[in-house]
Amino acid sequence: MNAYQYAATALLIGIAPCALVSLRARAVDGLVALTLAGTLATLALLCLAEGYHRGPYFAVALVCAVLTWIGGLVIARFLGNSS
Amino acid sequence: MSPLNLAVDALLGVGVAAELLCVAGLLLMRSVYDRLHYAATATVLGPGAIGSAIVMRECVSPSGGVELTSGGLEALCGALLLFLLNPVLTHAIARAARLQERGTLEPRAGERRAG
Repeated sequence: MNAYQYAATALLIGIAPCALVSLRARAVDGLVALTLAGTLATLALLCLAEGYHRGPYFAVALVCAVLTWIGGLVIARFLGNSS
Repeated sequence: MSPLNLAVDALLGVGVAAELLCVAGLLLMRSVYDRLHYAATATVLGPGAIGSAIVMRECVSPSGGVELTSGGLEALCGALLLFLLNPVLTHAIARAARLQERGTLEPRAGERRAG
């Protein structure tokens, strides 16, 4: 394993506490945890693409970043309207 | 180990440590606004350091030459997307949290409006 693969592993492990907060806390706290998990997933995908020397897979990280943002905005809007 | 590899590994370490600190903050804090603070911080230092590490690896040769590659550009775009888009999301979540807690965005009597 190289440094990027270790970094990706550490970042993916960081998603577990976010899942825990999403499961146990209020919905809006879960949304905060979801956005942080999206950030971690994006960075892990960047590290994996570099770690395995797969240039085209950098696009997957870009898509993940944009979709996390859009999904977060939609859920925030829903939570704001449902209050 | 060359100075380039050392710099790349250091940047990766700083980026991952910053992200894990933010996860710890999310886990330990109780208020949604405190948690939001840590989630927002995770889109600044971590992506900057990890994106820089990937751009250096992709675009800088051991001899010191610089050549732009598509991988380096995409990594830079990924880090910039996280950095530039997430303040909007942070604001939207804070707004939703405020609406859930108080039912209105208007300040209460005696509460000062920021800015």
